[in-house]
Amino acid sequence: MALLEGRGVSKRFGGVQALEDVNFEVEAGSIVGLIGPNGAGKTTLFNIVAGAFPPSAGSVHFENTPITGMSAFRICRQGIARTFQVTRPFGEMTCLENVAVAVVNRNQGCPRHKWENLAREYLDAVGLAMLADTAAKHLNVVQKKRLEIARSLATEPKLLMLDEVLGGLNTQEIQEAIGFIRQLRDDRGLTVFWIEHVMGAIMQATEKVIVLDQGRILKEGAPADVVADARVIHAYLGD
Amino acid sequence: MLALSITNGLVIGIIYALTALGVSLVVGIMNVINFAHGEFYILAGYFSFLFAHTLGLDPMVAMVLSVGAVFVFGVVVEYTLIRPTYGDELYSLILTFILSIVLQSAYLLIFGPYPNKPPNWVKGATDLFGLFMYGNQRLAALFAGIAVIALFFAMLKLTWFGRMIRAASQDREMAELNGINTRRLNMLSFGLGCALAAAAGVILSPVFPVTPTAGVPVALTAFVCVVLGGMGSMWGCVVGGLILGLVENLGAAYVSTGYKHVFMFVILILVLLVRPSGLFGRSET
Amino acid sequence: MKTKWLLLFVGLAGFAVLPWGLGVYHQHILIVSLFYVMMAASWNLLAGYTGQVSFGHAAFAGIGAYASGILAAKAGINPWLGVAAGTLLAAIFGFLVGVLCLKLGGIYLSLTTLAFSEILHIVINNEYEITRGTMGLQVPGLLSEYSKLGYFYIFLCAALLTLLVVHRLIHANMGLNFRAVQNDERAAASLGVDVVRVRVLAFTVSSALAGMAGALYGHYLLLITPHIPSLDQQFLVLSMTVIGGLGSFVGPIIGAFCLEILSEYIRVYGEYHVLAFGVVALIVARFAPKGLVGISKSVWERRRQAALPAVPVTDNGKGGARRGVT
Repeated sequence: MALLEGRGVSKRFGGVQALEDVNFEVEAGSIVGLIGPNGAGKTTLFNIVAGAFPPSAGSVHFENTPITGMSAFRICRQGIARTFQVTRPFGEMTCLENVAVAVVNRNQGCPRHKWENLAREYLDAVGLAMLADTAAKHLNVVQKKRLEIARSLATEPKLLMLDEVLGGLNTQEIQEAIGFIRQLRDDRGLTVFWIEHVMGAIMQATEKVIVLDQGRILKEGAPADVVADARVIHAYLGD
Repeated sequence: MLALSITNGLVIGIIYALTALGVSLVVGIMNVINFAHGEFYILAGYFSFLFAHTLGLDPMVAMVLSVGAVFVFGVVVEYTLIRPTYGDELYSLILTFILSIVLQSAYLLIFGPYPNKPPNWVKGATDLFGLFMYGNQRLAALFAGIAVIALFFAMLKLTWFGRMIRAASQDREMAELNGINTRRLNMLSFGLGCALAAAAGVILSPVFPVTPTAGVPVALTAFVCVVLGGMGSMWGCVVGGLILGLVENLGAAYVSTGYKHVFMFVILILVLLVRPSGLFGRSET
Repeated sequence: MKTKWLLLFVGLAGFAVLPWGLGVYHQHILIVSLFYVMMAASWNLLAGYTGQVSFGHAAFAGIGAYASGILAAKAGINPWLGVAAGTLLAAIFGFLVGVLCLKLGGIYLSLTTLAFSEILHIVINNEYEITRGTMGLQVPGLLSEYSKLGYFYIFLCAALLTLLVVHRLIHANMGLNFRAVQNDERAAASLGVDVVRVRVLAFTVSSALAGMAGALYGHYLLLITPHIPSLDQQFLVLSMTVIGGLGSFVGPIIGAFCLEILSEYIRVYGEYHVLAFGVVALIVARFAPKGLVGISKSVWERRRQAALPAVPVTDNGKGGARRGVT
């Protein structure tokens, strides 16, 4: 069953057609990659699904219910979480508080000791437990990314949308991250929709890859097929 | 009478437009709203008065010197106060708000509460279209205003500095990548923004004498003008200024003088509600 | 922790009996300080905790003052009920302005609140039939017999109520939402924070508190003038909060007291009063944006860090590859 579905999604910004007639499906329990050259419209698609802005045309469906044009916080409450390409931590708040925001909104009226414990658990899961009381603005880029994942997980999502989480990581960290993301699906039953430039990770971790180029779907299929496709290579390398 | 109101509206509208251009420039390049914008307008008026009256200089010379002095002051303010606020809109708002009050009290202390009027450049009145007599100083103000605005647009279009401004206000990052020294550009742009306010100040102060607190409505009108015309649109400022000037004067004549400033604010609220990008502005994504 | 509560209690008790040993003039200063504590704390809730820098706060105090005053003076309504009505009216206007400003951020929001404040100011000045304009509206007091001491306790209770409300909001779960919205609205929304609700709530509560403060102040001064909802007042409240510490709980309290007392001393110098204030505020805002509270916090932090052993921050590998521009 398709957990997330987009039908004819289009988006126009002034004179620029960012997305055109995009149809896609993300099956429940799968890890799906979204790739494409710069400016292809990947983050725009994420933004539309996550409710940052509505599409100019088309619709998005989650668990068979239309979510097109819903506000971002409502979409979060439906069960979709997302990370940002450039991390957006709450700089003046501690890591614990950052995660707590997600916890208290998922569990309304949660008493302090309870949300503190829950938040700590999530921080622990991403290896940031010792930085719980540090202000988020003091974290380095990699730690900020982990914080963002912890925050997203704390919203108890069914679908996790990752936007280029591997950028800036070294080889070892990338492997750890891939393992971590796989575990999220295996142990917690999360579905993952993943924008990524690190092709190795895409090859390793995803079951299906969607290729976007200049706002349109170029190809869709198993990682090996997609990456070998001449048109995809052409889109990335140009003439 | 209708024709009189319209004429008054146009005169003041051009001056509003000029002041608004100063605001728009600074907002476009630095994303900073200078709450003290009106105080630079007033400062120029005071300088003009000082240079002409106390130092006995020719009114025209006094005007030019005043604009120059305010430009320098603007640059100093940018360097000392505004610079650390980059990226933080609210911080610059708070800082310039405080600056505005500080300047107002300083003016009160230095110049006293009574209006100060720099000398007229022209005297007498002209018969306009056989309908009514209109003060020559006001007409002079109108033409001077148009001239300065035209000069500004020419500068934007034709000079290298103007090109940098247009580039930076469109896309700051790209401008930086292309080697434009944004720090210096910011400093000069802020100074120029203040200079535009100063120009408006010296042009209009013979008609409307300056008082310490007269800058507040000037700044507010300029802001409304920029919002109405559309942030980032220079032409919008001109159109916005004219509209506001006309609305204010027609409103004062036909509806109520007491409430004439309210029209402007109501327009502001309406614009922000219905079409926040203004008449000509680019809409944000 | 216990010592903190004890100190607080002792301090409060001490403050509560302070006016008994003071003359009428000093009692007045305390009362005015408490008024500013209410104004600064409620403005801080809006600007410091949700990042909505409103220039209309004094206007809400004005709404409270005039509503209460007009009801009492013209309709003969009991001033206490008037205060309640004033608070309610300010809350309603706060709600409306909050909703109006929803689509606006930063600059636009501040401009709109400024516009609202100016419109109110003009209306008050023009409708002098009802408001007596700049001459001022004479209103009855809250107590049958005028007593500075009595007013002190009224204001003390009101200030404590204000601080309690603000404290509850900030430290309850809602406080996390407030600060999240202030830090990054988009990120907050992505985590399930109802940004609209947070912002409107902050506006409504903050305006209600200002309205209450204004209404009480009006009945204390026995004369309500357009000075209450003026930009000058707004400036004072803003400076107090900024100098005390925007975004901290005690900042506005410290700022209000310090500046009001300072202001009384400077008043001797007459006209230099506002200028001196302004220059101090400017310097603090420019060089110590977190205010007095911020300064003392960083001094405290630096001492603490010096005493602790170095905390190992997670190693991020061989220097970490630079993030590519996508």
